[in-house]
Parts: sequence; C-alpha cells; structure tokens
Amino acid sequence: MEQVNPTRMELIKKRAQIRLAEQGRDLLREKMDALIREFFRIMTNVSDSRGKLEAVADSAQRSLLIAEAVDDPVTLKSASFATKRRISLDIRGKNIMGVPVPIIEKKRFTLTITERGYSPIGISGRIDETAERFETELDLIIALAETETALRRIGEEIQMNRRRVNALEQVLIPELKQQAKYIKITIEEREREDLYRLKKVKRLLQKKKQKGSEVSPQEQD
Amino acid sequence: MDYGYVNARVKGMHSRLLDKKSYDALLIRQDLPSVISELVKTPYKPEIEEASILYSGICVVDCALRKNLINTYQTILDLVENTAAELYLRIFLSRWDVQNIKTILRGKNIQTPTEDIFECLVPAGSLDEATLTELMKQPDVRAVIDLLATWEVPYALPLTGAVDEYSSNRELVTLEYALDQFHYQNALEKASGKTVEAEIIRNLIRVEIDTINIKSILRIIRDRIEPEDAAKLFLEGGMHIRREKFESLASMRTIEEAVRALEGTPYYFLSELPPAVITLGKISVFEKELDEYQIRNGVRLFRGDPLSLSVIIGYLWAKFCEVINLRIIARCKYAGVSDEDLEKELIHV
Repeated sequence: MEQVNPTRMELIKKRAQIRLAEQGRDLLREKMDALIREFFRIMTNVSDSRGKLEAVADSAQRSLLIAEAVDDPVTLKSASFATKRRISLDIRGKNIMGVPVPIIEKKRFTLTITERGYSPIGISGRIDETAERFETELDLIIALAETETALRRIGEEIQMNRRRVNALEQVLIPELKQQAKYIKITIEEREREDLYRLKKVKRLLQKKKQKGSEVSPQEQD
Repeated sequence: MDYGYVNARVKGMHSRLLDKKSYDALLIRQDLPSVISELVKTPYKPEIEEASILYSGICVVDCALRKNLINTYQTILDLVENTAAELYLRIFLSRWDVQNIKTILRGKNIQTPTEDIFECLVPAGSLDEATLTELMKQPDVRAVIDLLATWEVPYALPLTGAVDEYSSNRELVTLEYALDQFHYQNALEKASGKTVEAEIIRNLIRVEIDTINIKSILRIIRDRIEPEDAAKLFLEGGMHIRREKFESLASMRTIEEAVRALEGTPYYFLSELPPAVITLGKISVFEKELDEYQIRNGVRLFRGDPLSLSVIIGYLWAKFCEVINLRIIARCKYAGVSDEDLEKELIHV
C-alpha cells in the first residue's frame, strides 16, 4: 500500500478521490454501454455489407472470366489502359462518444460507358459489365472501409474503457478505500490513545490533587 | 478471278476445323493441362508446342490460339493476293490495326511501360510487328500520331483531325471515336464497287455496323446517356439502323421498348429473348445474340456460291468462332466453371 499521512486532511482528500473515482467509473460504464450499442448497430451493417461484397466480388470475377474468354485477355488489358486511374476520396471525421471515426464521402465509382475513357464501339458489353461490377465492388469496399474503421476504433475504445473501468473498480477504488480505512483507523487509534493519555493525565492530576489534600491536614496537625 | 484453286484450299482448311467429336473430347476434360494435351491432337499442335516453351498455364492456350488465328489469316492472305477476297480479308483484319493503334495510344496516354503495351498487341492486320514496335517507342500520343502521318498510314487522317480536341480536353476517347468512325467509313468506301463480290463485302460490313449501333443503343438506354454524347456513338452506313432510327431507339426509356421497336429489321429476334433477360437489361446477353447473328451471317456464306469469295469469308468467320469457343473452353476449365455454364457461354452457329 502506498505510504499515506494518517491525517484528517488526508482522509478528506482520499474520500473526495473515492467519490471522483466512483463517478468516473459510472461515467465510463455508461460510455461503454453506449459504445457497445453503437458497435452492434455498426456490426450488423458490416456483416450485411460483407455478404454483399462477397457476392459482388464473385460476380465480378465471373464476368472477368467470361470477358477474358470471349474477348481475349489482350483486349481487356488494352481497355484497362484507357481507364482513368484516379480515385479521389473526401474523408472527414466525426465523434462517436469521443471516438474519432472517418466519414468517407460516398462518391459513386460506377461509371457510364462514356465516362470510362474508351470508345464503347470497340469494347464489348462483357468488358463493360466486368468494369461495372468491379466499380460496384470498389463502391462497397470504400463503404465498408468507413464502417470497418469505425467498428475497429469503437472496439478498441470499448476495450480501453473496460480496462479503465476494471482498473478503477479493481485497483484504484479498493486501494483508496483501503487508504481511507487505514487513515480512519489510525486517526481513531490516535484519538483513543489521546483519550487514554488524557484520562491517565487526569487520573494522575486527580491523584496528585488528592494526595495534596490529604497531606495538608497532617501538616496542620 | 478463278476461285477454284483458292476455294479448294480453303475448303481443305475448313475440313480441319474441329468437329463435334473434337469439341466433346475437349468438353469432357476436367482441367487445363488435359485440355492442352487434347489440343495437341488437333491442328493447333505446332502453336501449342511453341507457346509451351515460352509460357505456362492459360497463357499457353491464349497465345497459341492467337498465333494460330494470325497464321491462318496470313495463309489465306497469301492465297488471295490481288483478288476481291483480299480486300475483304484486309478489311476484316484491319480491326486488329484499329485495336493495336488504340492500345498504343492508351498506353502512351498513361505512360505505360513499352513491354506492357507490347503484350497487348496482336499484329494480325496490315501494321506488322516492326511498325508497331516503332510506334511504341514514341514518347507520347502526339508523337505516335505524327509518326503514323509521316508513314502515311490511313489511320493518321482521323487522328490528326481529332488531335487538337484531344490536346485541349485530354480525353483519349475523342481520338478513339474518330478512329472507329474512320475505320467503318473507310471499309465501306473500299467496298463501294458495283460487283457482286463488293456487294457481299459491303453487306457484311453494314450488318456489322448495324450490330454495333444496336449494342450502342442498348448501352445508351441502360446508362441513360445524354443525346449529345449518344450521337457520338452512331456509326454511319448501317443497313437497317440509320441515323433517325438510331436516335429514336436511343431516346426510348427502356431496353424492352427498344428491342420491340426493332420490328421489321432482322434484329427483331432480340425481342424473343426471355422476358426476364429483357427486363434485367443485361447487355452481354443481347450482345451474345448479336455476335452469334453476325458470325452466323458470315459462316453461312461458306455454303454459298462455291466459285466466289463467299467460301473464303465463311471460313474466316468459322475459324474466328472456333478460336473464341476454344478460348472459352480453356478459360472455363481453368477456372473450374461447371459444364452447364460453359455450354451456355459457347457460341453456337
């Protein structure tokens, strides 16, 4: 146990600290509950999006396979040279119970045939469909990146909060209480000692006084 | 011109195309190595063996098929020198010239390494490997166009006309549109004679233009393209799809309406597709139908006049179709696609 001064002032201080720690623990618990609620809400979205992403990825791979089979892989690769290889994202942040999470501006990456950078006249619809499915996959990946990052950060915060609550509950508050108890016991002990000492002194003084009063009549005799 | 000798040779080549038995033998194979060993038993053997030295896996089949197609076209080109059939063959092969020029321009536009561009070139047209290599060495798009103009390659003409617009908006599609328009107009011009052969060639080109225009219309409707942009996709010279028809079809709200409006044209068969497919608007399904129609249109010429160029044209399309089917089989076996799904992807003519 930490060395503490067993004074009344220290006891008041410790009690104030206990109150503060308990308040902090309650607040952290409330925060944790709110974060857990948010975590599960986002998790439902994430698992839905993950399932959707897997389905879209499968269908994109399948389209790619067919496009490569029918149109020759060189045509496909040539078309890929024409695509605009730029992806610009607008990322902002927001706070969920003090946890900073990103917000990615939902820009649609799915393009129309005139936006893909090549002339559709020489490119088959199979290649277009492949491009479209991969663009949809990209849309989903970016949406998922936002929710998964939020989920990860909230998860980390929940873990950190739990550690904080545990530290308060299992370590700090019991220790402060122990210190307060120790101070209280010590003060009480000291008070008892003082009382005993005072009583002893009083008794001595009384004895002395009694002795004095007994000696005085003899002397008179 | 006496087509007797040439057609006899072409018929001989046609007899070496894979029959149903060979297709079945390929289809029952379980994986890619067994498909390759089956292909070694076919006329594709030399190309497969050659490609096996340089590549592995699916690339062996891809390269062998491409090489075989180029070799076949080259053989026919040697046979039909100075005939009307040469004209059609050159027009047919010029699609690879257009594709190669587009690939080089696209590569230069994004500064792709030369080796990557080279991998995507198919020197099956009039621009040979040496010419394409020299074009690839150019530092940028403008230099490629300038070199084409210096060599007086016909494709320099539309590119030179569109290069200023490209310089201002940096949209490569400007050059590609010009190239595509020129390619088909040039083909029609070359086949503008009054002979029966010229008419056969012209009709084939016009059918191709029609199918391209219909494909564009379907995409325009699906992606709701603005009329201004949609007009750029129109190719002049089609047999049934003229500008007014194109504009009226492109302005329709649904694909269903558009395919129904094709009534009176040979492409009305698109409206007979299952209603679910039409409602879903999956362009690749319509395209497959149109491609099959176009290939069938070419292949059926093989049964035409035995002493005309139609035998050669029929063979060209049959070979083209066979190579596509073999690639589909190899790729699907490689990816483990079920036989049922594979069967759906094959082109049946």
